[in-house]
Amino acid sequence: MEAITTSRRNFLRLVGLGVPAAAALAACSGSTPSQTGAGGGSGGGAKGAATYWFLTGQPQQGIREDTVNRFNAANPKTKIATTEFQNDAYKQKIKTAIGAGKAPTLIWGWGGGGLKSYVDAGQVVDLSGWFGQHGDIKNRIFPSAFGAATVDGKIYAMPCETVTPIVLYWNKKVFDSMGAQPPQSWGDILDLVPKFNAKGIAPFSLGGQSRWTNMMWLEFLYDRIGGAEVFQNVFDGQKNAWSQPASIQALTECQKLVKANGFVKGFSSITADSNADQALLYTGKAAMMLHGAWTYGSMKSDGGDFVTGGHLGYMNFPPVDGGKGDPSDTVGNPGQYLSISSKASAAEQEIAKKFLSTTLLDDTEIQKWIASGNVPVVKGTRSKLAAVSDKTDAAWLTFVYDTSSKAGNFAQSWDQALPPTAAETLLDNIAKLFQLSISPQQFADNMNKVIGT
Amino acid sequence: MATTVHTPSPVTAAPHQKEHAGLRRLLRLNWLGGAASWLWLAVVVVPLYWIVVTSFKEQSAYFTNNPFAPPTAPTLDNYKLVVESDFPRYFLNSMVVALGTTVPAVLIAFMASYAIVRGNGSRFLGGVSGLFLMGLAIPLQATVIPVYLIIIRMGLYDSLLAIILPSIAFAIPLSVLVLSNFVRDVPKELFESMRVDGASEWGMLWRLAFPLTRPALVTVSIFNGLTVWNGFLLPLILTQSPDKRTLPLGLWTFQGQYSVNVPAVLASVVLSTLPILVLYAIGRRQLLGGLTAGFSK
Amino acid sequence: MALPALGMFLMFGVVPLLGVLALSFAQWDGLGAIHAAGLSDWRSVLSDPGLPHALWVTFLVMFLSWAAQTPLALLIGVFLAGHQPYRAVLAVIYFVPLLLSSAAIAITYKALLDPNFGLGPGLHLGILTQDWLGKPALALGVVIFVVSWQFVPFHALIYQGGVMQIPAAMYEAAAIDGAGRVRQFFSITLPQLKYTIITSSTLMVVGSLTFFDLIFVLTAGGPGDATRVLALDMYKRGFQANLMGPASAIAVILVLVGLGLALLLRRIGGGASDSQLEGA
Repeated sequence: MEAITTSRRNFLRLVGLGVPAAAALAACSGSTPSQTGAGGGSGGGAKGAATYWFLTGQPQQGIREDTVNRFNAANPKTKIATTEFQNDAYKQKIKTAIGAGKAPTLIWGWGGGGLKSYVDAGQVVDLSGWFGQHGDIKNRIFPSAFGAATVDGKIYAMPCETVTPIVLYWNKKVFDSMGAQPPQSWGDILDLVPKFNAKGIAPFSLGGQSRWTNMMWLEFLYDRIGGAEVFQNVFDGQKNAWSQPASIQALTECQKLVKANGFVKGFSSITADSNADQALLYTGKAAMMLHGAWTYGSMKSDGGDFVTGGHLGYMNFPPVDGGKGDPSDTVGNPGQYLSISSKASAAEQEIAKKFLSTTLLDDTEIQKWIASGNVPVVKGTRSKLAAVSDKTDAAWLTFVYDTSSKAGNFAQSWDQALPPTAAETLLDNIAKLFQLSISPQQFADNMNKVIGT
Repeated sequence: MATTVHTPSPVTAAPHQKEHAGLRRLLRLNWLGGAASWLWLAVVVVPLYWIVVTSFKEQSAYFTNNPFAPPTAPTLDNYKLVVESDFPRYFLNSMVVALGTTVPAVLIAFMASYAIVRGNGSRFLGGVSGLFLMGLAIPLQATVIPVYLIIIRMGLYDSLLAIILPSIAFAIPLSVLVLSNFVRDVPKELFESMRVDGASEWGMLWRLAFPLTRPALVTVSIFNGLTVWNGFLLPLILTQSPDKRTLPLGLWTFQGQYSVNVPAVLASVVLSTLPILVLYAIGRRQLLGGLTAGFSK
Repeated sequence: MALPALGMFLMFGVVPLLGVLALSFAQWDGLGAIHAAGLSDWRSVLSDPGLPHALWVTFLVMFLSWAAQTPLALLIGVFLAGHQPYRAVLAVIYFVPLLLSSAAIAITYKALLDPNFGLGPGLHLGILTQDWLGKPALALGVVIFVVSWQFVPFHALIYQGGVMQIPAAMYEAAAIDGAGRVRQFFSITLPQLKYTIITSSTLMVVGSLTFFDLIFVLTAGGPGDATRVLALDMYKRGFQANLMGPASAIAVILVLVGLGLALLLRRIGGGASDSQLEGA
């Protein structure tokens, strides 16, 4: 008897507690309109309101929001609502959202293997036909950017935003103080290493804790030694592709550099996202750095007069003597990619397509990207880049444009190109390779096991 | 252990004896504990000092100066950035979630612990206790997807309630464990005497067990509150709109695609910690009062 | 009376757990449809050499963090229970690490451990300028240190409360009998704190099993897999490598291990319903 009365009382008590809690929550949910354009940006819930998720961080976030605002101003009845997330959080969030059928209409992403996993799950719309109809849009964009947007011969995403190849930076002041010349080949690099070490300067800065930073080295070595086909074979799922002679050679050369103390001491503890690796370069503690073009902006703002005073040197990765690769090849991010969710309603998809064809990458946006020190992924901007008022920036921007547009092959970062399962294994093994805890052969064996997964 | 012994030192002791009393007091001081505490103080303070100092630095000066040197050109820019970026809202959300989870969770866990301990070997309650024990080890990261699906089905997605409900559930096993131990310590005779006076189980719960287990209740509340306050995964998965974000997610504003604005992140950390710290400093007396009110013997 | 707790726990704890169990027999990449997969997930997980390693790392972290935190928390808690005037200030300062989120702590320590711009170079202490996050043993030590940094104050608080409940009469009696400080500690303080120790230890041990946020942001399991505890392994498999099936299998393993530990601790603590306090 006791039990029944107490449990009823418990229930009432719970309800009693619930009421004030619910009131508090209701007050909180009557929210102020979000800062991002259409009111009530609550994801895939609102009917007929297209949604768009992307990453935080300036200046990219501001430019994206600005583009959406202009679209909304021109299309007041069919607005797009945006939400932004931090990088790692976004990667998790987008997966759970897609998996639960709550994906945003416009899915921002890196293309490649990630895009393929969306395609395999039937979650993104095939845009090949749409691009066929809008040939003018397709032709505006760098052709090399479409590689990462294509799966099984069909296009599933529109390249957008900027193109950021990986660049070999060097500190002119440090080189001048040593009377050294920037390396013209891999052999030069190996020769320079002991010279800098003798002076207590790290030859190369490296944020090894982030792992993908190490990967950039392998990407170039593979290409320069064996050409773009080496990795292409891996990507195509060729059996034991990692054991190709060029592959083993590249891995060995890489470890040679590590063993020669080519990288700053303790590089496995340095993180890239805190910009500590860039700081090593601009404070003169390191002579050179292999990094993405996006670091130009942060080095410019954080490095004092390093960039503005013209002390930053840059070049494409030098060739390897005896290597088969085309020295004009480059690697990096050929663009960012926008896909349309196939689970969005027809109306929402139409809004998204209109966005892609009208406002995305229009002239205003292009101008903003240039002003922020980036090269947009559209053709024909070279003159605008050269016309930028700051001469140092103009030189940089035209360099990036030339490198990207003239590249024989523009390979996408491996961890984006490969399917997620293989990408994880790759990064793990790369970390071990750089710590010299596995041999090139073991690396190849481990990676061969996950080919095609 | 310093003193819980109140030996009155005789004021009229002869000088010779006084010397000895002083020496004895010196020897009575807890050297080991004291040393440990001071060492720990250094260990705790150094990173905290770094956090505060860096929050006043500009991002560009961040790497060029010694990390421990005070900023040559201290700036409030980081703090301004934080306050302008919706920080008060995130703080409020975190408070609502923390209170909304801790209060119900501790209360219902307390009721359950009471039932289990006083259950007189009922098989049902024994089973419940075992179930909670197993619940201690359920990893949040694994169950988060099914929880996500349940929340969507309940139509609660993207609300603070979505964070609160699973948090309550996850707080229960631990709270029940700790609270049962303490409820067990309440002398049976006290219950007997209250029963003789005609009190019901419910009455005994609130009038006897509740006051006597206060130390445990406080401890469990603090633990659960802090866990939820710093919780990241549930808010990430179960909410979406910026206005439902809690503080850990609020840090995102300063984390870009490629890099982190460290000074700004730290300014945000300082701002989110200060109010709670002040609360704690003030409420500490209450806390300790509660902790020692356990068993007046 | 136990029903509300039971209800909440069943709905948001047990039901999802059953869902996870079901997933461990399925093949799902988190994006598309779920396919039944029989025992293949279990087979791949159990034959993966990474699993024993992850288990080993998990136990190492668990045991070492317990061994590091408990004596420290005990000493500090006992000290704080005393009557020094400044202990109030100390206690407030000690409390701060608890209030910080894992992301904040990880960002702070990653910066402090930087071999070029961190603690070592800043204080000009060569011994602190190591490849902290790059060498496996050091990284493990770092993880344990940071965990302790965050949680020792909390356990010290628990012990402080426990010590304050010990009747002064016991110490007085012992002092009269001529027992010294150390003797008092081992003969009175420790035994009286038995339940407190069990509670604190249970919190530490089981907490460390599902401990994830801090390690994820600090080392992401690195270098290599030196700090890849089971929870991290599960997350990486599920959310980064898109293998939700095997990840769920690992989750089930985690729960079983945790259950075993909790039962063990309960056995040690004495499941009896008798109080241990004098006079009860």
